[in-house]
Amino acid sequence: MRKYLVAFLALVLVLGTIGMSITVFFVTDTGGLGDKSFNDSAWAGVEMAAKKYDVTANVIQSYEQADYIPNLTAAAQVSDVVVAVGFMMQDALAKVAPQFPNTKFIFIDGVVKSPNVENFLFKEQQGAFLVGYLAAAMTKTGKVGYVGGIPIPPVLRYQYGYEAGVKTYNVLNGANVQVLSGYVGSFDDPAAGKSMTNSQFSEGADIVFAAAGLSGLGTIEAAKDAGKGHFAIGVDQDQDYLAPGYVLTSAMKRVNVAVFDGIKSVVEGTFKGGTITLTLKDNGIGMSPMTYTKQLVPKPIFHQLDVLKKAIIDGKLVVPGTKEAFQAFQVPQIQF
Amino acid sequence: MNAWIQAIINVFINPIFYKSTLNQSTPLILAALGGVYSETTGVVNIALEGIMLIGAFGGVVGSYFTGNPWYGLALGVLLGVAMAALHAWASIRYAGDQIISGAALILLAQGITGFSLVELFGKPGSTDLVRSIPLVNLGSFENVPFFGKIFNSLSPLVYIAFASVAFSWFLIYKTRLGLRMRSVGNNPEAADTLGVNVYNVRYFGVLMSGVFASLGGAFLSIGELGQFTENMSNGRGFIALAAMIIGNWSPTGAMWASILFGAASAFNDQLQSQGILHLATNTQYLFGMIPYIITLIVVGGLVGKSRAPSSDGIPYIKD
Repeated sequence: MRKYLVAFLALVLVLGTIGMSITVFFVTDTGGLGDKSFNDSAWAGVEMAAKKYDVTANVIQSYEQADYIPNLTAAAQVSDVVVAVGFMMQDALAKVAPQFPNTKFIFIDGVVKSPNVENFLFKEQQGAFLVGYLAAAMTKTGKVGYVGGIPIPPVLRYQYGYEAGVKTYNVLNGANVQVLSGYVGSFDDPAAGKSMTNSQFSEGADIVFAAAGLSGLGTIEAAKDAGKGHFAIGVDQDQDYLAPGYVLTSAMKRVNVAVFDGIKSVVEGTFKGGTITLTLKDNGIGMSPMTYTKQLVPKPIFHQLDVLKKAIIDGKLVVPGTKEAFQAFQVPQIQF
Repeated sequence: MNAWIQAIINVFINPIFYKSTLNQSTPLILAALGGVYSETTGVVNIALEGIMLIGAFGGVVGSYFTGNPWYGLALGVLLGVAMAALHAWASIRYAGDQIISGAALILLAQGITGFSLVELFGKPGSTDLVRSIPLVNLGSFENVPFFGKIFNSLSPLVYIAFASVAFSWFLIYKTRLGLRMRSVGNNPEAADTLGVNVYNVRYFGVLMSGVFASLGGAFLSIGELGQFTENMSNGRGFIALAAMIIGNWSPTGAMWASILFGAASAFNDQLQSQGILHLATNTQYLFGMIPYIITLIVVGGLVGKSRAPSSDGIPYIKD
């Protein structure tokens, strides 16, 4: 009798696990939910998955870097899938992931080599290149700005891609647009982002691209304050709606798609550790549809952007993402 | 090297550098003044950071629900005073450890604002844009070369901050109440013997610190941005504490120290924005240190020994 009972319980347990929904925990970086860019985008991906599949979505917010290890550990203990975002979390995840071989990790913006971690990287420089070209084409003052959060690889890819876009515009159109760039040293200080943007405006820039998380909201606010003729360029998500008419465009990085794909692979059982790089080609990177500013941009510029986009997708134009690559970058011959 | 000299000159001849200095020192001045009030009466208040945060939050909530940013300011100050009252209650009434009470209040402020943000605005992290306090337009003064660019369209809170310094200096050094505040902070037993109500004066000092620190916080949210983001005080409360100490616990000293911090930070922004420097990205870490290096030089070399009120941080228990 007891033998049957044990077998029965075991069966219930097994069936129960199969039927049970997947628990997903999203661990934010210090930017946190509500940054209207990176973290919100990742969370949108989790929610998308929760809508489509039998997935329970949870979130743990990290307020400082010291939270990463405890948060990841706590999440790994109670969930099937942990979504970890942000390059800054890489070391913490490298410590935590091997301790939980049965938990699957989806990691955005960095690489942890462990069989239970699926890493997603983006070619941010490709989107930044396009917005850089557009900024150079649209500036009236001959100067454009760049405000970064902290110089970590994904943010540097934004910076060098942007500068390469400006350089390409200069070479192809015989112009001499300058880039002013600065770092606020934080992803969550909009007041600091605003004052740096104002400094760049005062030095003659009229379009400023911010790759700085929450700090970048200060850039958008500064553009709105400065009034007509000044633009911010948003990052990660479509931020154009935050100040209609003052956000020229946004360099989009579809973190939501990556997170969704990761969860989907777990649901469908195709999950495997490794690294996936999303690019312009597979629509992981792009520009916002420019809902409020389209009419401000002359038609030929859109045509040029399309040509460049195609050149990047075809591999004719390799956008630099590091300092060394940028220094070696030669603008290829492109016919519009 | 010439590029550097040129860049530094460019910074100092740009009026926006001075404007940015004013804007960045304003929250520090207000919060540091708050610290001066509290500590002059002998109560250490490290909760400034938390009070700023709740002031910033109250400002946005009030502005969002009434549509009038001035009501927001009032609500921010009200919440700030309430938070300061908790500190006063714990550290004066119950003679608790003031550092512990202050630290607890910082965490409390982070918790309350984070929680209420979701409850009131339906999402974490940041609020939508709300109406901020209109900037002061100086009319034709705008056309005055150089100075017009500095002083036009500043937040009224900038003026309020400097007026508060003058007011506080007068109150603390020229009035009877100020004398009592100082005596209670230096020698509460003696003051008590002479018939001064030590507790009441200390309550006054701590509550005033709530007023000023929350004004500083509200400046960040509805003065600068028109939006609240989580933990937006971002350590400014602690910098304000440092400014108060460098300023030797006096309103004017705290003001100068705050301006120094603000200027260093504005200098950093403006210098990084110089196109002629062609900076390597990794040097930008060094730029972030500028404010602190300047502080070290000033504190180590120029400011003499600073002296806290002798009974600062010691609860008074009446026998």
